[in-house]
Amino acid sequence: MNAIDPNLVQILAAVLFTLGLAVAATRRNIFFLLMGVELMLNAVNLSFVGFARTFAGQGSLLGHLSPLFIIAIAAAAACVGLAMVICIVRNRDSLDSDAYAEMKE
Amino acid sequence: MFADLNQLLGTIYFGLFAVIAITCATGLLLARHPIKGAICLIGVMLSLAGLYAILHSPFIAVLQVLVYAGAIMMLLVFVIMVLNQGEDHAVPRFDRASVLGLSLPVLLGALVVTTLRQVPLANDAGALRGTINRISEAMFTVGPASSGHYLLFEFGGLLLLTALVGAVMLAKRGLDRPVDEPDGPKAHGAMPHAHPGHADRGTALVNLHDQAAAGSTTVTAGTAVDVTTGAH
Repeated sequence: MNAIDPNLVQILAAVLFTLGLAVAATRRNIFFLLMGVELMLNAVNLSFVGFARTFAGQGSLLGHLSPLFIIAIAAAAACVGLAMVICIVRNRDSLDSDAYAEMKE
Repeated sequence: MFADLNQLLGTIYFGLFAVIAITCATGLLLARHPIKGAICLIGVMLSLAGLYAILHSPFIAVLQVLVYAGAIMMLLVFVIMVLNQGEDHAVPRFDRASVLGLSLPVLLGALVVTTLRQVPLANDAGALRGTINRISEAMFTVGPASSGHYLLFEFGGLLLLTALVGAVMLAKRGLDRPVDEPDGPKAHGAMPHAHPGHADRGTALVNLHDQAAAGSTTVTAGTAVDVTTGAH
């Protein structure tokens, strides 16, 4: 029975979330934006699994169930997001997310 | 004695996977080409799968490899390859706004970490191992003791189906556009002479691209909207 300190797991999840947020906030290439969002979702999954071990009995299974739904939603988001990227890049011929500021005008 | 060894090994593996995950995530932040970023992200996901396995969640670990590192990243890499934009030097990696965008997440992360260090978290000895048996039992039990998660599962399936149909519709829209000729002088002027009198589907895309490339410096918002609305 190995026991990892749950604080360490949460700190690692926070660091990964920070990096994902930084990628999504700073990079202007549309692919990096999507990948930053995926990284943030992964960090949240890690947080769930880390917290699962601090509860007893059936309650601990909830921490293993939530990542399942998060992964499903991430798959749907990636699917639609990439289709939109294909559509927009065809029209605009640019990967710069600033080129997609059509609604602003 | 074996318990000690196990504990030590678990800690070593945790540190190893944590270092790989953070290194790959930093690589994603600094990568210039999207493919390199995608490979870094795959590294993060694989090391996270290892972490899930250490944290007594083998089912999520397998799912992570199958769905994330397998399906989602494959889709992303395919789209990067299909669009084939290559190393996009027109888009700078960082600009002046990035200072703010970089410092604010770091501030947030530091806040969260300092808060976490003061929270007394401890592993519970009664925590269940997240095996596929227990997870499926918790999810699909129907009856008075049911938690209702099977409904969420069904809605998840519905969401994925909707996303699939939506993605196909979105990606198909560009290919489906009929090339109708009285489209204005702009579309005609930019038509390449290599394909004369083509009115089939695939060339609509080619025309758009050629127009974007051969037409003046950039496709401004006006012309792009003109082409799309004119074609419908």
